[in-house]
Amino acid sequence: MTTPTGLGHHASEDDPRIMLDGQIGQYEQVPPYPPRTEREAEFYSLRDGEMFLNMGPQHPSTHGVLRVVLKINGENVVDLDPVLGYLHRGVEKLCENSDYHHVISQIDPLEYVSSLFMEWAPVMSFEQLLDVKVPRRAEYIRVLTGELLRVASHVLFQGWMALDLGGLAPILYSFIERDEIVEMLAALTGQRMLFNYFRIGGVNGDLNHEFMSRLGDWMSRALVQHEANIGLLNENEIFVRRMRDIGRLDGETAKRMGVSGPNIRAAGVPFDVRRAHPYSVYPELEFDIPVRGTGPAGGDSLDRYLLRLDEVRESIRIIDQCLHNMPDGPVMARLPRLMRPRPGRAWAAVESPRGLFGTYVISDGTDQPFRMKIHDPSFVHLQLVGMLMKNNLIADTMAVMASLDPVMGGIDK
Amino acid sequence: MTAISKSLGQVTTAGKVIIPLLLVILVVGPIATYLLATVAGPVIVDVLNSNLGIVRFVVAITGVLLFSIPAAFIIIYMELKVIAFMNLRIGPDRVGPKGAAHSVIAGLKVLTKEDFSPNAADRTIFTWAPVIVFLTSVMTFLVIPFGPGLVGAKLNIGVLYLFSVGGMSVVGLLLAGWSSFNKYSLLGGLRAAAQVVSYEIPLTLSVVGLILLAGTLSVDQLAANQAGWFTNWYVFRQPLGALIFFIAATAEANRTPFDLTEADSEIVAGFATEYSGMRFGFLFFAEYVNVFIISALMTTFFFGAWNAPFPFPHLTVALDPGSLGIMLPIAIAVGPLLVTLALAVPFWLIRTKAPAWQALLAGFALANLLAFGAIGLLTYISWDWVAGLIWFFVKSFMFVFVFVWMRGTFPRVRVDQLMGFAWKWLLPASLLNLFVTALAIIVVKSL
Amino acid sequence: MDRSLKARLEARLADHLAGPIRQRHDQTEIRIRPADLLEVMRTLHDDPDFDFTIIADLAGVDTGTTMQVVYHLWSAKTTDWLRIIAEGMPREDPRIPSLTGLWPGAEWMERETYDMFGIIFEGNRDLRRIYMPPDYASFPLRKDFYLPDDSARSPGGGARHVEQPNAPVVTSTRAPRRTVRG
Repeated sequence: MTTPTGLGHHASEDDPRIMLDGQIGQYEQVPPYPPRTEREAEFYSLRDGEMFLNMGPQHPSTHGVLRVVLKINGENVVDLDPVLGYLHRGVEKLCENSDYHHVISQIDPLEYVSSLFMEWAPVMSFEQLLDVKVPRRAEYIRVLTGELLRVASHVLFQGWMALDLGGLAPILYSFIERDEIVEMLAALTGQRMLFNYFRIGGVNGDLNHEFMSRLGDWMSRALVQHEANIGLLNENEIFVRRMRDIGRLDGETAKRMGVSGPNIRAAGVPFDVRRAHPYSVYPELEFDIPVRGTGPAGGDSLDRYLLRLDEVRESIRIIDQCLHNMPDGPVMARLPRLMRPRPGRAWAAVESPRGLFGTYVISDGTDQPFRMKIHDPSFVHLQLVGMLMKNNLIADTMAVMASLDPVMGGIDK
Repeated sequence: MTAISKSLGQVTTAGKVIIPLLLVILVVGPIATYLLATVAGPVIVDVLNSNLGIVRFVVAITGVLLFSIPAAFIIIYMELKVIAFMNLRIGPDRVGPKGAAHSVIAGLKVLTKEDFSPNAADRTIFTWAPVIVFLTSVMTFLVIPFGPGLVGAKLNIGVLYLFSVGGMSVVGLLLAGWSSFNKYSLLGGLRAAAQVVSYEIPLTLSVVGLILLAGTLSVDQLAANQAGWFTNWYVFRQPLGALIFFIAATAEANRTPFDLTEADSEIVAGFATEYSGMRFGFLFFAEYVNVFIISALMTTFFFGAWNAPFPFPHLTVALDPGSLGIMLPIAIAVGPLLVTLALAVPFWLIRTKAPAWQALLAGFALANLLAFGAIGLLTYISWDWVAGLIWFFVKSFMFVFVFVWMRGTFPRVRVDQLMGFAWKWLLPASLLNLFVTALAIIVVKSL
Repeated sequence: MDRSLKARLEARLADHLAGPIRQRHDQTEIRIRPADLLEVMRTLHDDPDFDFTIIADLAGVDTGTTMQVVYHLWSAKTTDWLRIIAEGMPREDPRIPSLTGLWPGAEWMERETYDMFGIIFEGNRDLRRIYMPPDYASFPLRKDFYLPDDSARSPGGGARHVEQPNAPVVTSTRAPRRTVRG
């Protein structure tokens, strides 16, 4: 037998992971290489009555291509080890070899559910490097489209949450709302999913008639529809019982774990980049930061779920204000076509539907960024699963993971 | 002769076989029929008559097996369509009118798929587990009265038979989960075992009150006891029992919200993870047959079985067409024509612009409707098993609809909640129900 | 730009600063030596004047000549993002103390940085590759990483090594393609 190999590469007959007839029971050591760290050694040693359950990378409810190795004792999850990298594309490396305009379309597919936010942070950091002032109308359009997409993302989250708990219907109602918004943005940007709409110094094209008429239609019934969708699930006793007291996270731990976005606000910490470190035109807009789970025990899965629904209302408020306060003027700053910012460093963070999404750019004076670091909130939040899941049941893995709302595209970069 | 051989030369090879065969059949057929009717017939009739019990059993088994398949098809189609309606989708619409043949085609597809079994699986058990699951659910049909007299086997311990056979399906599920050599299957099988065994107890206890009331273990007798107005239904005397039975039966059949054994978001497909082809088909079929069975049991035990909710005038209409004599052929020939014309006249009068043929067509359609209605009514009031069958299926499919509805609406419960509910709530409630029923019977008798 | 933050930082961390404090837009940048990292971070986190409780980002940087680890922190006491650059690690064997004692959530960020740059975070108890397969031998975001050659050494090319824990960084003999000052 040759040296055991790693994971998922070139399985062959001498591969210890392939079991032939007569080899049953020889499959003992997981993973098939010596443990690399203290933690790995601890995780991959079994006590009496425990076994491993490999969930993913092909599994119905891991929200993408995630693999989780569960160490279970009966139905109880003793410990778990997420294995990432199945969707790793090396976006940061790609960005280092693309010019500044191209970077936007490279980053855009990271979080395919809310891709405008993935464009917003790099665009803001490039504008800092270039010292560009963005026209006010462009800023308002960015906020307007961003908040629309936040609604779409949170509404979709509601459906996924139900689906992961076995409820079939809500996801389809969610998709009605999301499709409405996405079609609206498609009328504006020409794309349904990866909009590639924000540009350095503004946005690509002014608001058009079709977008505005669709938006008007949607706004007239958005809140009513939202309440109706809430009614589908929130009163359901089974749903509430599945979520309550599962995966409690308190504020102090959340801060230490680097959590952001709805997850930290559901742990009682009012940290929202839109207010904590205002950017764009958010200081001019009126909206509240919903906070739940302010007690000493923190918030559970239900709090995280409800908080996102609260945020939808706030986002609709922001959209309404954007429409009323929308100034006239250009939507793009005047900029040279080829951009060579002076050497320097810039960091910009936005509040994406999942939390703090930031990009850190280093320019070396050429037309390509020297280093582009992408900070994705889902990546940090996925760490929590291991912490929140210990000594819960297998079924709760899904409830907790779904309530953290990770998107694998962003986690694996 | 040349003409025959020439024309024979022109037909295909298959024709050369079939044409002589047809000739042989033409000659042999009548002779065989004659012999069968005169010589063998009486013997066969004698044998059948002397073994009526066995004959009845074989016919019943065949009927039940044959019935289970269309029932499952209808329920699968119904589930697809109803859940699609609840989800604002269209659902299946490709095969047949409104996609009605969809589930049949899906069944055929399952038949043609590769019958795969994993390397490490225990082949024998892996193969037989789905058969056990399927047979135990189908065998339950044997004692369910579909109508007055329409029962496979009139067992005087029918209720016991139902629960013993129904409880056996868990053996199949556990074997399927164990033999697949897959951790998801194992978890699914063990969940099934725990769940079915736990819910078996409140399920059985909820019916004990009913048995006390009725004083019989025969399902047929239970059904007959509920005749008359709908107030005679046991649900009004055993409401708690009916509720417990409904919940526990849902869990027994592994339906949402108790479908933990095949929770796709947790353990992929549970015990069915490694199954493919018709073995998976058996498991799938058994699930839907179970849905029909629990609906039928709900109907039989608590909702009046095949009885109409109100006493319907049951008549034996003494029709004697022979007495009409020569008028009979005349009536048959002229009657429909006259009715059609009579019904066409109003159309012709009201809508003067419409051409005469359209009025005639409308009249003809109406006449047909009337005729079928009359025949239907006649059969309903003169044969009680037709009426029973209709009411039984209407009620059963209402419960099937409720189960499908629940599937479209509810999320799934967690495994500890499931077990806690069975032991902490359902079991005490069913014991309470039993106790109260027994007390009431004693009190009523002593009065 | 928060001038008072600069003054406070200069007063409190004077011994540890390895360069001038720079401020641009909404960011304040301090440079420290890797050995001082834990002390500086603890001061920033625990001192009620600073109260930098939220870690926004942890990034590795290969300048082509040295290695850096860059941290971004947020505090309610200032309007700026604080950027801490731990600089001057040798490219051959970059080592820096781990922040997991202070922010346990930094564990995966450090794993990612280790995976991409080969920077070893001393004290991180789970420092293994996070994206790349365990038998992957090189560090893709380093500036001397050339795709054709390194892919030949990756499992796709047929060679199979098991990664050694905490092994010294495999460096290419080639010079980095691009470098940046500072």
